[in-house]
Amino acid sequence: MSYFTAASLDEALKALREAEGKALVIAGATDLFLKGMPPQAVDIASLPELGMIVEEQDYFTVGAAVTHAAAASSPLIRVKATALAEACAAVGSPQVRNLGTIGGNLVNAAPAADAAVALSALGAKAFLWDIDGRRWGEGLENLYAGYNRSRIDSSREIVLNLIFKSCQFNEGSAFARFASRKALSLPMVNTAARIRLENGVFTDVRLVAAPVKPAPTRLFKTEEALLGKKPNEETRHAVEELASAEAEVRGSLLRCTAGYRRHLIGVLAGRVLMTAVRRAQGEEES
Amino acid sequence: MQTEATAVSKPISSKDNYQSAEVWTKVTGKAIYGIDLRLPGMLYGKILRSPHPHARIRKINTAAALKVPGVRAILTGSDLSCSPYGIVINDEMPLEPDHVRYVGDEVAAVAAVDDKKAEEALKLIHVEYETLPAVFDTGEAQLPEAPQLHENFPGNVAWRREVVRGDPESAFRNADLVVESKFHIPQFHPAYLEPIACVAVSEPDGGITLHAAVQSPDIVRDLLAQVLKLPLSRVRIVGPVMGGGFGGKVYGNLNLYLISAFLSMQTGLPVKMQLTREEEFTAGRPMVAAEIKMRMALGNDGTFLGREMDLITDNGAYSNQAPWVSNTLAERNDSVYHIPAIKTKVRLVYTNKVPTGQYRAYGNQVANFACESLIDMAAKKLKIDPLEIRLRNCVRPGETTVHGLQIKSCGLAECLAAAAEEIGWTKRKKGHGYGLGAAIHASGSVVFDPNLRGASARISLELDGNISLFTGEQDYGQGTHAAFSQIAAIALDLEPSRISVYSRDSLVTPYSMGALGMRQATIGGKAVQLAAEKLREKIIRTASEMIGEPVIMEKGRIGSASGRLVDFTEIAHYYHGRTSGLTLTGEGSYVPPESSYDDAKYGNIAVTYSFAAHAAEVEIDPETGALTVHRIVAAHDSGRIINHLSASGQIYGGVVQGFGMSCLEGYLFNEGRVANPTLADYKIPTALDVPDITPIFIETDDPEGPYGAKGLGEIVQVPVPGALANAVADAAGDWVTEMPITAEKIFRILSKRGAAK
Repeated sequence: MSYFTAASLDEALKALREAEGKALVIAGATDLFLKGMPPQAVDIASLPELGMIVEEQDYFTVGAAVTHAAAASSPLIRVKATALAEACAAVGSPQVRNLGTIGGNLVNAAPAADAAVALSALGAKAFLWDIDGRRWGEGLENLYAGYNRSRIDSSREIVLNLIFKSCQFNEGSAFARFASRKALSLPMVNTAARIRLENGVFTDVRLVAAPVKPAPTRLFKTEEALLGKKPNEETRHAVEELASAEAEVRGSLLRCTAGYRRHLIGVLAGRVLMTAVRRAQGEEES
Repeated sequence: MQTEATAVSKPISSKDNYQSAEVWTKVTGKAIYGIDLRLPGMLYGKILRSPHPHARIRKINTAAALKVPGVRAILTGSDLSCSPYGIVINDEMPLEPDHVRYVGDEVAAVAAVDDKKAEEALKLIHVEYETLPAVFDTGEAQLPEAPQLHENFPGNVAWRREVVRGDPESAFRNADLVVESKFHIPQFHPAYLEPIACVAVSEPDGGITLHAAVQSPDIVRDLLAQVLKLPLSRVRIVGPVMGGGFGGKVYGNLNLYLISAFLSMQTGLPVKMQLTREEEFTAGRPMVAAEIKMRMALGNDGTFLGREMDLITDNGAYSNQAPWVSNTLAERNDSVYHIPAIKTKVRLVYTNKVPTGQYRAYGNQVANFACESLIDMAAKKLKIDPLEIRLRNCVRPGETTVHGLQIKSCGLAECLAAAAEEIGWTKRKKGHGYGLGAAIHASGSVVFDPNLRGASARISLELDGNISLFTGEQDYGQGTHAAFSQIAAIALDLEPSRISVYSRDSLVTPYSMGALGMRQATIGGKAVQLAAEKLREKIIRTASEMIGEPVIMEKGRIGSASGRLVDFTEIAHYYHGRTSGLTLTGEGSYVPPESSYDDAKYGNIAVTYSFAAHAAEVEIDPETGALTVHRIVAAHDSGRIINHLSASGQIYGGVVQGFGMSCLEGYLFNEGRVANPTLADYKIPTALDVPDITPIFIETDDPEGPYGAKGLGEIVQVPVPGALANAVADAAGDWVTEMPITAEKIFRILSKRGAAK
């Protein structure tokens, strides 16, 4: 295996071009041993432009090589994209969080990747650059080709960053997961919400659950039903029922039955929604 | 001796918390474990395993594999000259010649210059199988039409036992209350950090030296000699440091040792073999799985009248230690309480799954899950407090239990009271669950070999005035050797750090049954005490001879009434010169009182008995069933505590393991194949999951153990499953009767009761 640490994005793209499909982009490399070594690796983890967390004109730009640990401890993200901070803090273990990157979490395409679920709720778009110089943005839910399969071709495409609107004073977000163990454990369910309240009612809701489909899955019907509603216990119960009914889930021998997973999606949807509401109302800061 | 006993149990001081030099080699990364071993010219062995749960081997073609450069030898079952062997039942071959019985069964083995070459060769071995119908369920395996795993065992029952004590029929007839329940327990793996590894060296004299860290090296040595058909004196076991054992390495992995020995004999070179983590799970020896049906008869006042147990244990494809585990699982818990009548039926059944063995407490810990749950079920029906019903029935000092165990020192009632007091039993908070579990364990089991019940030790005064202690008892983290240094230090009036302990070379260390059945501190420690006392006498006698005056020994110094002082170095040199090179040596042999254990397995099985009561405090999320274990209080009667730091460490570790098996772990199978053979999916607790643990020591003074000490090895895990099951039931309103106690199972109970929110 040959290993190349790129000093700039141009250098990384050049290396990929020259490898003619034999090299793969890597960053945190936390899953490299699980997935098998590529013949050549182009390491982009230390590129400065991929490691930034910037908020400009109400928009966040989070570099693809930002580690989970960096995102979880960023004061900006903790306040204005709390769901992402919570999701990143829940991933794996300290070692995984210190190395594993948010871009890698997306490209890895696990169906219940914590950061991806939070980013989906936040409405993030991924911006990519390929070896032919093409640059484009894409809703991150569109980047999945199947279970654990990404549409992103790591031999010729690089995720640069994720861009989403930061939460404003009347907005809030939250993330929750349910797993059998408190660390190093894939979730049975994870959910995230982003909401806006105006005049005491929901005027915008994004509610995402996983693992439902290969990609983080928005619960559109539940979202829609919430618009114009007041955030109270009644609404929470309604969300629990709606989310539970809307999510089509599978059971697994290793995690839990489909019925229990469906129940958990309801409970967790209710919880993230109400936590996001409290944040929007300024009652709680994490 | 009385004053010295007090010295052992005085409050914690640095001397009482002495740690052996080996501990520091572990902390600083210098310890050499089995997986670290490298010998000159060493080859690497790998095993080809069956992909089928049940099949005949029609043909094996190794020609292509032999052509891989770097491959030195390939063996199949038909190359081996040995006969089927076993620990209890001779039903296993190191490589199966014609019949494989589980996914993972050993079919062929390769030795090559490195791991990669060996793996490459494995892929080129072509095996033609004829698949056979397989059976995975113990119930189905006993049906007449079920596939037979072993010719000699029709009905697939490997071992059975029925036992009746007292008059169970009238106990149940006269009972005011009969409670019954079924419990399901899966296989558990100890998940020690170091997978089993060994290096076998074929010696020029035809013998074998096996470098392997096992808990009972002398028994492994006996077995190797027997299977390899070598004289015992030509088999030597040398032990590297062991990276955790927990009862899972009592005999290590005998097939692995034998295969590496055969490969080394074939090639004339050392052969290293090591299980991968996946092989540990799929082809190691996890603890026996069990289905328990249990009934209890009680009087209205909560008095236990009788207990019936119908136990089916899942052997997997071969027997290993499963008969012993099944036996302990079936009866040990009967002696926690005064139960006058017992009826027990056990069947150990072959299935086409991974063979099983022993883990930490010979099944006692999972039986605790069933027994203690059923006691609380009865207490609830009788409206008696769970603490009260246990105190009313628990075994007391001087009692002979229903199976004939003779209880001398016993602080069980005090343990129960102390654990309840510490957890705040009488002030229980609403919304939380509280539970109790109680346990007995045979400390210093003597029935493994009735002809060799005790232990021996040898201790010498070296020329530099330091002490070398030779023992066959193994330390793999329990602190046994530190405790031995402390025991010898008391007898010799020395600092424990001056006493080095050697245990890992069968050429020089005394024979031992090994680290099992909590023998180490009780029996091994007693032998150390006796050996050290003999050496003390010899030192005093020699010193007195040397200076021609009577002497006394104090604080490592020897002096006469006239004020003449001599030190250990002078005495050692004097004796050395006078005898032309001998060292002053004390040999100690501890022979426990004759065991009364009879053919009906009635009688006293151990030198002493340790006791424990654990109390757990848990909380359940009513919306999801998620379980938070806040706290476990672990009160233990292990006699006088020799080393409080090591003893507390034993408790922390055992409770964490008990919590893991109770709430997280357990094998999952898919058509006989282990579905969770990785540490990602077989979930042991992380530091974040571990509850607050409070050890309490009830220090009884045992008449048999060294300076009043008893064992603290297996028992630390035993009461945890029962305490947690009862705490969960207290919070959820009903019992989870299937281990592990998961959130989903708790949620099912809440839903059924309409208590789920």
